[in-house]
Amino acid sequence: MLGYLARRLAMTVPTLLLVAIAVFTLVRLIPGDPVQVMLGDAAEPAQVAQMRAQLGLDQPIPLQFVHWLAKLLTGDFGHSITDNLAVLPLILERFQVSAIIVLVAVGLAACVAVPAGLVAAWRQNSALDLAVVGSATLLLSIPSFWLGLLLLLLFGLKLKWLPVIGYVPFSENFWQAMVFMVLPIATLTMIEIGVLTRMARAASIEVLRLEYVTHARAKGVPEWLVLGRHVLPNAFAPTWTLIGLVLGHLLGGIAVIETVFTLPGLGRLLVDSIFARDYPVVQGCLLFTAVIYVVVNLIVDLCYPLFDPRVTLA
Amino acid sequence: MLMRRPSGAVVVGLTLACLAVMPTCATAETVLRTRLNADIRSTDPGTNRDANTDGVVAHMVEGLVAFREDTSIGPMLAESWNVSNDGKTYTFHLRKGVKFHNGATMTAEDVVWSLKRWLDPATQWRCLSEFGPSGIARIERIEAPDPQTVAVTLDQPTALFLPTLARPDCGQTAIIHRDSVGPDGKWIAPVGTGPFKLGEWKRGQYIDVARFDNYASRNGPRSGYAGAKTAEVDRVRFNVIPDSSAAKAGLLSGSLDAISALGVPDLEDLKSRPEVQISVTPALGLTGILFQTRDPLLKDVRIRRAIALCLDTAQIADVVMQGTARANNSALPIGSPFYGEVQAHGYTQNIAEAKKLLVEAGYRGQPIKMIANKRYGFVFDSAVLVQAMAQALGINIEIEVLDWATQLDRYNRGDYQAMAFVYSARLDPSLSFEMLTGPKATQPRKVWDNPEVQEMLRQSMMTDDTAKRQALFDEMHRRFIKDVPMIVLFNGAELAALRKNIKGYAGWLYPQPRFWGVSVQ
Repeated sequence: MLGYLARRLAMTVPTLLLVAIAVFTLVRLIPGDPVQVMLGDAAEPAQVAQMRAQLGLDQPIPLQFVHWLAKLLTGDFGHSITDNLAVLPLILERFQVSAIIVLVAVGLAACVAVPAGLVAAWRQNSALDLAVVGSATLLLSIPSFWLGLLLLLLFGLKLKWLPVIGYVPFSENFWQAMVFMVLPIATLTMIEIGVLTRMARAASIEVLRLEYVTHARAKGVPEWLVLGRHVLPNAFAPTWTLIGLVLGHLLGGIAVIETVFTLPGLGRLLVDSIFARDYPVVQGCLLFTAVIYVVVNLIVDLCYPLFDPRVTLA
Repeated sequence: MLMRRPSGAVVVGLTLACLAVMPTCATAETVLRTRLNADIRSTDPGTNRDANTDGVVAHMVEGLVAFREDTSIGPMLAESWNVSNDGKTYTFHLRKGVKFHNGATMTAEDVVWSLKRWLDPATQWRCLSEFGPSGIARIERIEAPDPQTVAVTLDQPTALFLPTLARPDCGQTAIIHRDSVGPDGKWIAPVGTGPFKLGEWKRGQYIDVARFDNYASRNGPRSGYAGAKTAEVDRVRFNVIPDSSAAKAGLLSGSLDAISALGVPDLEDLKSRPEVQISVTPALGLTGILFQTRDPLLKDVRIRRAIALCLDTAQIADVVMQGTARANNSALPIGSPFYGEVQAHGYTQNIAEAKKLLVEAGYRGQPIKMIANKRYGFVFDSAVLVQAMAQALGINIEIEVLDWATQLDRYNRGDYQAMAFVYSARLDPSLSFEMLTGPKATQPRKVWDNPEVQEMLRQSMMTDDTAKRQALFDEMHRRFIKDVPMIVLFNGAELAALRKNIKGYAGWLYPQPRFWGVSVQ
């Protein structure tokens, strides 16, 4: 187990290095540069040159990379070109916002989707199955910004139950923070229910066809026990993998939802930084996301033996 | 942040209770909640900045002079000034009793310190290059002969000295207290003289400015960034809300009191709401179609002119801006005091003439690539209409949509055939032409390379004789229309939506909101 962990961690190093190189290069391949964006249409060439020199953007790109990497190894992600804040604390602060929404929403979604998928598979091709699959496909197909705006208009504007804009950190006031989080979490939960239900249903159908399920039924095990003890644990493993992938993907930022609900999350930070060509922040965000992805997948893999005794980590 | 204003009865009740109990007691705080579409970059005026930053910082700091409503220059921290006969020395007489946010009284020494700080390259002042070798003039001396007087000596006379000092993107060359920076010279926070002082700034969320109780307001009406400034609310909160639909919902639900920089598409909907009032002000920005006059195809002025003649600019302006802006083919904005009869003469749609020019030029449907962006919806909409109108004549325009940073890069390198573009506000007519004309060899971003015009521009910058300047601008306009380096379409409008209980708001030519003189009722 520990050997496996060590090997997996060692494998992340080349992955992250490749990501670092790719991120650094790609960001600079986008046309436009931060100084031009900052100075706008009234930029004098002298001003541009002076500012580029101050930011170190006039140096050769390989040299800039080496500088960046050297600092990175000491844990220094650099400073934002836009507002001169240290990148890592900025990312961590924004990440908290995204992480709470994503973890709660995916958790809730899994609680709904896994039983729903199981029941749909159990009653495959029935009206119930059709209803579950239909709803899941509908939820999956709705763009998040549209769903978010609809919820915002309904609960914020028409019913006035929830605030329309704003944000309070959980550290300041838990209940107030919750009030601002309800709609974004609801939006994301609904969409993720669509994603996960389909997976849970497909996995359950596979398992329901297997011989041990027939055997269990033949020896007279009650149907709820067949589902609960034999189908669910076996069908959950593939869903768990998908949850891992979804988490990794979403923790990198839910820019659209954050934008609609005006939350200062990681996704919005990344998008704003790309538009501003704020290289250090873009690089930091992408690298951070890669790390999250790797970590989440590692955790998922480490959890596998819990659901499937056939898997051993060696 | 959702905040409820206490009802009138509660305020009265609380006030009475307070009066009964305590000798001094603050009444309930009034807060005006507005929106920024992106966070400000810093609180350091005219350095790390963008338009949002300029707009917020203008509530906290002031310069010696400021732009009035009609873009003329008015006094601000200077009571008055004299210019020496050679036009090189400006002597500013300071207002008495002006307080900084930390309670200190402003003196000539503060002015000298501030000006010297701006001119120090380490400050990274945006407008430093204006006072460098390629700028309007060099500053040779800054002196304070007495505590109420400051004299600035230039190496050559220029009409642009005061307008440059007043430029909002230069941070209005703010006079600040030296406590604004640390012992190492690093910026801390603005200790200025403005009607508001810095409150809390939560990055990515909001920035608050709070009423400065010892503000020394000028007499006379509010005018642009000059004139009287009274903070009539205790606090203004600029909420950072990137999504315009969310901002609109915020206004309608009462979580916001005002949205400036409103998009045209939101106008129609908000107009019909009983709880909302709309403010429409002509703006100084300039939207138009740029041509690369070095392009093998578009270097032929006949083709450029044909495109200009096939357009119905009045219709474009009307459709794109939904009746909030008038068409204008001049480089000078309609609101400029130099905009007159001559500037009103632009292109008139003439299909027959356009067709004739195309035949003469031998145009046979070669594609013309036009860059546009969706960051500014009106730029994209204009591009589509121009494309459609040109299509009717067989001119084949293909629109390429880029993000703003990429388009700016192409603009700065002159790497395009045509582009739909928007220039930000220039508050002086010389600067309006300066943004367009220059030698392409050294300044590829300039659209109009005409040495004679550049000479006229230079002259217009040297003199402050209004009649002489007007004559120069008139002649430049005629040549601008003749050369067709670009087609100006309209100047746009500054749209704001406010809840009905907000009183005293008014936009002006400069497209940033002002919240002094504005009250919540």
